[in-house]
Amino acid sequence: MNDIVGIDLGTTNSLIGVMDSGFPILLADRDGARLTPSVVYFPESGEPVVGAAASRMRSLSPERTVFSIKRLIGRRIGESEKDDFPFPVKSQSGRMLVEVGDKLFKPEEISSLVLRKLKNDAELSIGHSVTRAVITVPAYFNDLQRQATMRAGELAGFTVERIVNEPTAAALAYGLDRLGDRSRIAVYDLGGGTFDISILELNDGVFRVLSTNGNTRLGGDDIDRELVRLLIERITARNPELRAQLENKLFVARLREIAQSVKVRLSTEDMVQVEIPFLSGNHSFSYNLSRQELEAIARPIIRRTRAHCLRSLDDAKLDPLKLDEVILAGGVTRMPIVRQFVAEVFQRLPNIQQNPDEAVAVGATIQGGMLSGQIQNVVLLDVTPLSLGIETFGGLMNVLIPRNSTIPCKAGEMFTNAVTNQTAMQIVVLQGERELAKDNWELGRFELEFEPVSKGLARVGVQFEIDSNGILHVLARDVQTGRQKIIDLHSAVDVADEAVEKMIGESLDHAFDDMAERLWTETVLKSNELLPAVRSALTLVGDQLEPDDQRKINALVLEVEAALKSHDPRRLKQANSDLDEGTQQLATLLIDRAMTEAAKRKR
Amino acid sequence: MIDYFALLGIGRRPCIGEESLKDAYIQKTESSRSDTANVEALSSLNMAFRTLSNPASRTQHLLALEFGDATGAQLGPDLGELFGTVAGALQAVDREFGSLSGQSSVLLRAMALQRVDAVRGKLDDADAELSSLEQSLLADLRRIDQTWIENHAQCRAPLAQVALSLTFVQKWLSEVRERKIRLEELA
Repeated sequence: MNDIVGIDLGTTNSLIGVMDSGFPILLADRDGARLTPSVVYFPESGEPVVGAAASRMRSLSPERTVFSIKRLIGRRIGESEKDDFPFPVKSQSGRMLVEVGDKLFKPEEISSLVLRKLKNDAELSIGHSVTRAVITVPAYFNDLQRQATMRAGELAGFTVERIVNEPTAAALAYGLDRLGDRSRIAVYDLGGGTFDISILELNDGVFRVLSTNGNTRLGGDDIDRELVRLLIERITARNPELRAQLENKLFVARLREIAQSVKVRLSTEDMVQVEIPFLSGNHSFSYNLSRQELEAIARPIIRRTRAHCLRSLDDAKLDPLKLDEVILAGGVTRMPIVRQFVAEVFQRLPNIQQNPDEAVAVGATIQGGMLSGQIQNVVLLDVTPLSLGIETFGGLMNVLIPRNSTIPCKAGEMFTNAVTNQTAMQIVVLQGERELAKDNWELGRFELEFEPVSKGLARVGVQFEIDSNGILHVLARDVQTGRQKIIDLHSAVDVADEAVEKMIGESLDHAFDDMAERLWTETVLKSNELLPAVRSALTLVGDQLEPDDQRKINALVLEVEAALKSHDPRRLKQANSDLDEGTQQLATLLIDRAMTEAAKRKR
Repeated sequence: MIDYFALLGIGRRPCIGEESLKDAYIQKTESSRSDTANVEALSSLNMAFRTLSNPASRTQHLLALEFGDATGAQLGPDLGELFGTVAGALQAVDREFGSLSGQSSVLLRAMALQRVDAVRGKLDDADAELSSLEQSLLADLRRIDQTWIENHAQCRAPLAQVALSLTFVQKWLSEVRERKIRLEELA
């Protein structure tokens, strides 16, 4: 059959859909569920279990139940917090791997198990095999994350016809029955682990992405984590002896599960009674959690999406008032506080007609229909989220393809030999928005080969092409010989990873040599920063302190000064942190003062 | 070099209506989409649209097509001075970002935030000044566009001047705006 299925491979849940007589429909599994938890449980023996059944094992067998793998896919060491997961995450030649039992899994292998389950469910539902798929990724995924997702699809037995950006898919789902419209929309997509904001122009069946921005490490998972922290605080305040339980993974996994369901319920209820029976032995725990409390911990996390929204508007050269609609995707957007926040940033109420859990999958299915020819008169013009460039002289990034360029796109660069008979030159390919090469993602590096000729005579053109999946291809062509070569960045990545690890190792070795010396220097620096700050804060707002508090701060200052003369790093460190602690009130007064003054200026 | 005007079927001139450019681009894109997703052709169309959408890159492309690459325009002293002020404001803000990043002490953060507040005004001024300069450069471009049909050669030097100034103004404006967003993030 010619069907192309559409798949939303989510951090928390995944869905699959197919076109049915011209309409996108989502397919359910045997139990009638359309949402498949992106969770894989590995029993001691036998086949891995995927979906709802695996999800139930999260609190029973946390070390063998893998979830939120999307946070690790296509990432290198240092890019993700290993300790966020109850299952062990290892790194091997720079790659993140998950360890279950005595086996190591690549993140894309875990994802492929989720995809395979979706494939089987779909085949069962429509009665024939499916081999072609469209898979969605966060718009802000970089090249490595897209490649890894594509590999996951291939491992699951799919031909991946297209990688589509999630907010773009949500826009397709929204716009399919409004093809005659001319409008500008923003898609605010806050999922389990990632955030994207995209701005599109819809015009007679043409969906044109104007700009996109986001953060691939920001989502509902972060709210869950903070909520777990809050619950632990409440529990241990009441039962201090349970503190020892925090090392117990089963205990923490159970709390996480409870936190998640409480979070969901507080979207519709104002107060939820958190009940944890037989918490430990005979202890039960009951606590009334209000929506306000949840919102207080969620607010700083949600606020972090603001800057991305502003950047995206700026790049689209649009004022929020010029938008016709703001649509929501991702389960977290069910939270009332998220909707309020979106309304505030975009100065309009978001459109909540779509099911935020399903919009992306419906859009992926529509894209599948467009590729198989079942949907016509729809054109999609998407962009690359991140600037692509190469490292240039002085460690700077030279941008070749700016962010928000419509894909597919390409850029060429000509290289020549700097000295006579030079036979090779190293090119480092980067993705990101920072000025310094080292602050961006390194996609890989490769050796450009030259014919041995006089300085400046060798000429090799390199073409960088970003295809419709947002994936990079590099081609080198020697102008003299006409020889062309496709450059494989992959092998280069592995080498680079080993080098990175070696570097990290070396700097660690080094660190131990002069640890004591460095500790002292750093602590002194801190004191030298702190002391004048305290003095000047005291002159500014010191009169607002109680005389007693003033005396306390003075004593703390004296102790830092004395410790400075003692050359005892531990004493100085303690004195610094005491002073830090003791001046919190002073800091609050300073901030209040700044705010009053800012308000005065505005008036 | 590809003639992006010809590729989109648009007459060569400094100013093009936004809507007509978009229509031409989408029409060409739709027709080349039907012939088996021709990546090469689509990439060129995308590049053409991007280049011609932005007044600075469009003017530079026009100059290159009409007169070859070297235009010999230089930044005037007035712009040089303005950029000096803008760079000063950016540096001042970046210094405070530096002192804020990884700062765990509440008091030190509060002090740094106070200093940031002082430079915020400078950024706003720079934004306002650059924006109004951008507008007046765009007005210049429209004026030159009026005489383009009669005499291309006469337009060469003023066009080159506008294109260069505009390129710089846009670059600095985006730097200033990025800093403003990062400041917002801190507050």
